[in-house]
Amino acid sequence: MKSSWILDKLIPPASSRSLILATMAALLLSVPGMATRAEDGDLSKETKACLKCHDKEGMGKKLENQETLSLHVSTKAFVESMHTKNDCEDCHSGIDAKTHGKEKAVIKSKREYSLSMQGSCRECHKKNFAKYEDSLHAALVKEGSKAGRKDAPLCADCHNPHTLRSVKIVGPIASTPCAKCHEDIFKAYSKDVHGLERIAKGKTAPICFDCHKTHDVKAASFGDGIKDSCLSCHKEAVNEHKDWLPNAALHFEAISCPVCHVPGAQRRVNLRLYDNVAKRQISEKSGVPLFEKRTDGADLQNVGLDERALLSLLREFNQDGGQGKTVLRGRLEVRSGVEAHQLTEKSKAIKDCNTCHRAGAEPFQSVMLTIASPDGRPLRHGVQKDVLNSLQATESVRGFYAIGSTRIKLLDYALILVLLAGIGGPLAHMTIKWMFRRVRAQHEAERIAELAQTNSQALPNDRRADDDASK
Amino acid sequence: MQKLYINPLPVRIWHWTNAVGFILLIATGLQIRYLDLIQLVPFRTAVVAHNWVGFVLIANFFLWLGFYLFTDKIKVYHPELSPTKYFRASFRQMQYYGYGIFRGDPNPHHVSVYHKFNALQSMTYQIIMMLVVPVQFFTGVLLWDVTRFAAMVEMFGGVRVVDTVHVLFFIFFTGFIFIHPYLASLSHTPWAHFKAMITGYEEVEDEAPKKGAASN
Repeated sequence: MKSSWILDKLIPPASSRSLILATMAALLLSVPGMATRAEDGDLSKETKACLKCHDKEGMGKKLENQETLSLHVSTKAFVESMHTKNDCEDCHSGIDAKTHGKEKAVIKSKREYSLSMQGSCRECHKKNFAKYEDSLHAALVKEGSKAGRKDAPLCADCHNPHTLRSVKIVGPIASTPCAKCHEDIFKAYSKDVHGLERIAKGKTAPICFDCHKTHDVKAASFGDGIKDSCLSCHKEAVNEHKDWLPNAALHFEAISCPVCHVPGAQRRVNLRLYDNVAKRQISEKSGVPLFEKRTDGADLQNVGLDERALLSLLREFNQDGGQGKTVLRGRLEVRSGVEAHQLTEKSKAIKDCNTCHRAGAEPFQSVMLTIASPDGRPLRHGVQKDVLNSLQATESVRGFYAIGSTRIKLLDYALILVLLAGIGGPLAHMTIKWMFRRVRAQHEAERIAELAQTNSQALPNDRRADDDASK
Repeated sequence: MQKLYINPLPVRIWHWTNAVGFILLIATGLQIRYLDLIQLVPFRTAVVAHNWVGFVLIANFFLWLGFYLFTDKIKVYHPELSPTKYFRASFRQMQYYGYGIFRGDPNPHHVSVYHKFNALQSMTYQIIMMLVVPVQFFTGVLLWDVTRFAAMVEMFGGVRVVDTVHVLFFIFFTGFIFIHPYLASLSHTPWAHFKAMITGYEEVEDEAPKKGAASN
């Protein structure tokens, strides 16, 4: 076995081994912190041997790029970690005991080293690693390797393999690795309704991975994942909203939860390119950057797409996949990730319909056209806000309509015309009728006179007839 | 003047329910669409009222349809099949409203039990009752629950198209609600047609003796 091979190299064989181990044990027991070290009992001899050297504060190695890679592994932390039952060489299998510590291994950078260690994680965590490989984080790593990006998270960036503790043990909000990169969002979360509950009540309240998943992290703006996460805890939310909100299901479809539950947030309309046949958000194909090319071409002055540009753009996308396949699905959302994590308690959530259903409402002052990039992150291009009120956009923005605020202006003019005609027409008719009153009176007098004359002519004839009858 | 019973009770119930209902629908519809300009009641109240009144009027429509389908009164809606006759009558009616009425000429249309609408009314009411009203109710139901009827909304071109049709007919009815009472006031007295729609009896002028008839 490999472990015994390393042990053989590190520690002299056979008879002298027991003596050395006894001496080491005596030395360990003689130093302060004995109680802690007493917990080392479960560690293998080999691991103990490694830690003998590596449990020294400040131990490090100068790398090619002048970074210092810490080689310090705290025995206490390791014993308490999830990996306590593993031996060092389970992960560090490439170490040659003959040369370890004697020959200088060349490591370019911390990043290079972490990348080289990724495979060790996969050996044991196959399921989670597969999820990770399908995640936005892994996509960023791949992109980073091309673009020189160095901050996309690798396994060890979130999970320090030497100190990693079970989420069942760690504090309710501390030790959340996400905060390392998403600090501003984490700060916002720690003050919002979920963060405060997490601090007060512990693990019953959601933390990052409860909504965003642990390893298969997707871009928050992609699909309906986050809304589904909300509904997975707030199961009665739709029914509760139905009690007071007309067309509640439609509101859930077209509005992200923070739009109402973060009252102070800035909002916008997100018009997402959507595959109406496959029923999913359209993603840009890897290596074929059509979206930027087409939007830039349709908006040469960079003032935002107007209704014509939007329609012709949609037709271009439809040429790729058949007429009617690509549609725009509109959704109201908050403008930043920080704002999405400032959720308030539900009594303070927006319930006033005026917020959205009136002309010039704030959420409709910013409009974006979005497609998902190959890794799931949104690619956006601005759209002129007047598009939402244009008759010409009836086809392109067919699936997004908010009563009052996105009403078609041309219909307003039609209503004004009809109102003018409805009130003005009868008034004009009445006026003309009044002006003709003398003509009417004259005609009436003539008619009565004519009638009287007719009657007087008819009367003698009638009398004559009566006389004839009496004879 | 003779009295003719031309508006049976079901027609009168339907008519006044429709009148009140349409005024409510227009008022709530105006507030729903122009919340920034009109705030008579809370928006939600306006929406809920609009929905309920809409359903009442749909039921009312079927009262009207049932009455005419199962009685011989449907004859009042029978179209004039001769285009020449129809257009001549329409032209005469237009001439009357646009000129003759000012001079005090008699109305060319003579009301009878089975012929209560003039040529213009006959065509307008047929279009309204068989096309505009059903389409308005149908689009209203689709908009009442867009998610439930998502497939149908999509089939008709999306929520914007459905809403635009609904609003176009709303604009039509808004105009109608002004024009209709005015035209109803153009009887031999301003209130005669209104009274007829309350009591059921229309006052009809006796036939004037024709010129020269006496000398024959």
